Amino acid sequence: MLSAEEAQILGTSFWVAANAVLWSLPFAIATAFALSRRFPGKLALEGVTHLPIILPPVLVGFLLLMLFGQRGPIGGLLAEAGIHLAFTAKGAALATAVMTFPVFVRSIRLAFEATHHSLFEAAAVLRAGPRDRFFSIALPLAGPGILAGVMMAFATALGEFGAVITFAANIPGQTQTLPLAIYAVLQEPGGEAEALRLAGLSFVLAMLGLAAAAALQRWAGRRLSG
Amino acid sequence: MRSLEADIEFTQGAFSLRARFVAPGEGITVLFGPSGSGKTTLLSVLAGLQRPDRGAIKLNGTDISELGPHRRGIGLVFQDARLFPHLTVRHNIAYAARRAPRGGLQVEDAARFFDVAGLLDRPVGNLSGGEKSRVAMARALVSRPDFLLLDEPFSALDGIRRRAFIATLSDMHRVHKLPMLVVTHNIDDAAALASHLVAIRDGAVVACGDFATASREAAFQSLLDARDTGAAIPAQLLQAASDNRRGAIWLRADQVMLATEPPRALSARNVLEGCVASLWPESDQSVLVEVAAPIGPLLSRVTPQAARELALAPGRPVWAIAKAHML
Repeated sequence: MLSAEEAQILGTSFWVAANAVLWSLPFAIATAFALSRRFPGKLALEGVTHLPIILPPVLVGFLLLMLFGQRGPIGGLLAEAGIHLAFTAKGAALATAVMTFPVFVRSIRLAFEATHHSLFEAAAVLRAGPRDRFFSIALPLAGPGILAGVMMAFATALGEFGAVITFAANIPGQTQTLPLAIYAVLQEPGGEAEALRLAGLSFVLAMLGLAAAAALQRWAGRRLSG
Repeated sequence: MRSLEADIEFTQGAFSLRARFVAPGEGITVLFGPSGSGKTTLLSVLAGLQRPDRGAIKLNGTDISELGPHRRGIGLVFQDARLFPHLTVRHNIAYAARRAPRGGLQVEDAARFFDVAGLLDRPVGNLSGGEKSRVAMARALVSRPDFLLLDEPFSALDGIRRRAFIATLSDMHRVHKLPMLVVTHNIDDAAALASHLVAIRDGAVVACGDFATASREAAFQSLLDARDTGAAIPAQLLQAASDNRRGAIWLRADQVMLATEPPRALSARNVLEGCVASLWPESDQSVLVEVAAPIGPLLSRVTPQAARELALAPGRPVWAIAKAHML
């Protein structure tokens, strides 16, 4: 059974990962849809989207701190509205969202790209405008792929470390997610056994997420070919 | 005036399309041309799915060139049906109904018209090719376009089903007063359907006009396989073994024999009196004879020996003979 402390760590992890995925979902869908089409400046958008993969996670955390810290250009404005991100659970969710964004966009983009352009043409000659085509054809057809992307992003989000610890710190009960807790117990002498327990927990969660993603993809495949 | 007028130039890689024609707002216009002549590209430019480099497209006198495909009022039935895989047959047709101007056909009525009412709650993935075509037709019909383009709608069908589909298409045009531009490279289908003809080759219009007249032009006949050289004869003026004939029958030159005396005691059901209008030697083996008959000009292909022995020459009275079972 889980100890009260472990339950709290798990709760923080879930809260952070779930918020990261839910808040970034509309942006991920919009970016993925844009990247599945041809338009000028696509390469630039692609580059920006992939930045979190290319940059060291600690640097991403540091950049977030510069932008969203109390004295940062965005963080200052948010602070006036009473929203604090740095060193909070919300901040952990933001850092996680930024880090998982490339993976999230990639899996959703594959779903959009799998829909043949010819179906949009068929919808267009049935009087469906561009926005209508997106909501009536692109989104429903990519729906199962988007769900799989959500699961994939969630599993990835549970493992985020570098950016989260830099931007949100490692505060037990507030920003301490599973990987951060593992790091914390490893700092203490004799913490290996607890670290292993937490690692096992982390592994089980990630596998469950991946299995759910795979099942969703199979279901989607059957639904669209049947 | 109700019509679809196009005067467009379109280039894609090495292929260029220069089309100028008028398809009347009444009747069925057949867009005829060999494979690769640009028929599908032309339809996609007319429907607004591809932008022409230059020119204008007018529907019933209004320039629609700048409008998106969803605002043109031009429907298009694709060769590959393109049903939406996430929707059932019913919802595919309803998709069009929801976006159509008011006062159109109900989903069920359209489904009945195309004999797919029994399939309404089926997913589209396991329909046969012919069923998919019919669902796509029903979907296009409830969309209430001002002009409907059809890209080889019979390609998935053969034999009896093909003839039945042509009959349905003629009925659809007659009952719903829907002007249509139908792509085909099958001359029998073209004759059965067309009141008007637009023929293209290598991206350029080579013949355009009333079907019976335009199909006689040398530029059009040159698009046909040699065995298909012939003339359109209104179906009701001929006796054909198959009764499901509409529009015109394409009477091939190879199906017509000539006699210089009135034939007697003959099993052939079609004997048409006329006189030789002209002779064109085609090769060492054949001479094409144009016969002016009261039902319209028709063609017969004979050997040079036969032409000599029968002393065929312009003005000579002849009887053209065609078996009902050959039509």
